Amino acid sequence: MAVNFFESIRKAILDYDEEAVAKLVKEALESGLSPLEVMNKGLAKAITEVGNLFGEEKIFLTELMLAANACIAGVEIVKRKILESKTEAGKPKGVIVIGTVKGDIHNIGKDIVKALLEASGFEVHDIGIDQPAENFARKAAEVNADIVASSALLTTSRPQQKIIEEKLKETGIREKVKTIIGGGATDREWAEEIGCDFYAVDASEGVRIIREICEAGRR
Amino acid sequence: MKPRLKVLGKEELDTIYTTALYLLKKVGVNIEDEGIIKLLANNGCDVDSNRIVYFPEWLVRDCLNSTPKEVTLCGRNPSCDMQVGRQKYPYIIPLVSYNYFDCVSNTYRTPTKDDVARFVRLCDHLSTVNGVWMLSMIPEFEDMYMFGDFILGIRNTTKPVCVINFEPKSVEPTYQLAVEMAGGEDELKRRPLLTVNYCCISPLIWNKEGCAMLKATARWGIIPAISTEAPMGDTGPVTVAGDIAQKMAEFLSGAVVLQLLNRGMPIIWVDVHETFDQKTGAVNFASHGNFLYACAIGQIEEYLGIPIVTPVIPDSKLLDLQESYELGFLLLTQMLGGSRLVVTHGLDSSRAFNNELLLLLDDMVTATQRILDGIEVNSDTLAVEVIEKVCRKIDGKRRVGHFLDQRHTLNWYAKEHRPRKDGIFEKHRREKWMELGSKSFTQRAHEKVEEILSTHKPEPLPREVEQKIAELQKKYQIKV
Repeated sequence: MAVNFFESIRKAILDYDEEAVAKLVKEALESGLSPLEVMNKGLAKAITEVGNLFGEEKIFLTELMLAANACIAGVEIVKRKILESKTEAGKPKGVIVIGTVKGDIHNIGKDIVKALLEASGFEVHDIGIDQPAENFARKAAEVNADIVASSALLTTSRPQQKIIEEKLKETGIREKVKTIIGGGATDREWAEEIGCDFYAVDASEGVRIIREICEAGRR
Repeated sequence: MKPRLKVLGKEELDTIYTTALYLLKKVGVNIEDEGIIKLLANNGCDVDSNRIVYFPEWLVRDCLNSTPKEVTLCGRNPSCDMQVGRQKYPYIIPLVSYNYFDCVSNTYRTPTKDDVARFVRLCDHLSTVNGVWMLSMIPEFEDMYMFGDFILGIRNTTKPVCVINFEPKSVEPTYQLAVEMAGGEDELKRRPLLTVNYCCISPLIWNKEGCAMLKATARWGIIPAISTEAPMGDTGPVTVAGDIAQKMAEFLSGAVVLQLLNRGMPIIWVDVHETFDQKTGAVNFASHGNFLYACAIGQIEEYLGIPIVTPVIPDSKLLDLQESYELGFLLLTQMLGGSRLVVTHGLDSSRAFNNELLLLLDDMVTATQRILDGIEVNSDTLAVEVIEKVCRKIDGKRRVGHFLDQRHTLNWYAKEHRPRKDGIFEKHRREKWMELGSKSFTQRAHEKVEEILSTHKPEPLPREVEQKIAELQKKYQIKV
């Protein structure tokens, strides 16, 4: 029975059907399956599969995003159930602060990463676009973030990522968080130059890196 | 609106046609076959002591009228048939030539049977390719090249196979093989599996071999593809209009003979546009004038109502920038000009073929087909509903919506942009490209070719056809 639920959720996610995912997740929880099971064996497994297909360039980005949105519809229900039950299992896989740096209003890459992370069970705090460096640091301190992710598509705005590193130090949390940068104006060399921990060439690599960081942290 | 490139007006086309009729009537055609001269004389032509035959206008018009406007070139698999005159896009037929260019060593070599088989299998795999045109002249065959080419073609593709002939003696065994494949002579007439290409000689000459082929194809009911090859400034006038008129007259003279021998038989004109390069003394196929000529083919085809095959022939010797430029310009102009049958050659002015180039061609054809489809304008493509939806997404007094997560994007992306399936065109960011090995297009294409050939196997020939091949080889002492 449980297997049928997981397969049905997987199919609904691959059909980008938000309503069907929400309905199936509700039914699965009502049938007695634990929120953690539904999250890990149903939703997260399916979105990982879709992410891999995108990584292998077998599906389009739009398909990935539509699948992520469908998945999020289910994740929200699972989250509510976890909060109601107040179980330890309710802890997110990781806490991420994400945003686009000051002087830059590009949001698409950031939104893709956010959607995929949320769909995979991460707690994501999106501070939005055109955000000064101190907002990244403040939010990270406030939510006890594991990771601070910043996006810059303009060469004129990427120096803000260096300032984020400085602000995290000033706030005294640089050692507690990992930083990752992405976006058209960034590259590996830039990450090294400013002392950032990771660079992601695209959204899918960003999600993979964040997953690996959080899994390593848990161990 | 469907895009179309037009370079000739109706009056200009009328003038070219009238000139071709004048050439046939007043200049005449040198014919080296007494039987055909007699046939033409009995049908109203004048003949002089130099075997020059003068064609009356009414006879040419009459024979042109009885030539079918449409023709079907059949493959082993009926779903691969080319229905010329009814298709949505121009048909693309790559040519197997008598040298192979190896992109790994950047060298030319005489092709082996395996080289030809691999190329034909690749053609069989690619959806943008509709058939193959064969002129391998493989030394292993020794003679009866057309028969050898036909076997190599049909064993490696179920798409139509057109063969080029220089030896009339190979027509009969090849015909018999086609009869076996079709399941009888009547079936072959219904589904013509054999198209044979041969030449008229410029200016305005039908030599003995050409005449023999006219008679053979008319007798057997094989679809003839008559080539006219008059390099501008060499055996044709240097002007584009004059060259078209002369070659039109050459083709029409062959069509008259064929219609008198076998009224109503379909005929294809292979209009090769080429230029004699005054600096190098070489015949070029991708000169600036050729690009213009390429645009005109579709209009000439429509005007005469005869299927015309036109080759796309780059002159470049390597898979380099020149090759891409020449291939792209010729293909685009020809397809936008309205050509319905395009034979694509490889490199070195038709002297060589190459596998990797087929993958470049595949993409160029897809791109050109997209242009030919034009811009669809309707309520769904105008996308007002989705624009409104995206723009309504506001955060912090800023519009933050985008189209990446919209069903409309998914529904239309492939239709509008025809994304590539195989990934051999490098579109990643530089870091990713480096991570993947910093490979050139040719390297990636080579890997893809090997991947395709390691898996793609066309349906084998039926056992009875293989038995017929062995029987015919024995009967005609063919060393294939």
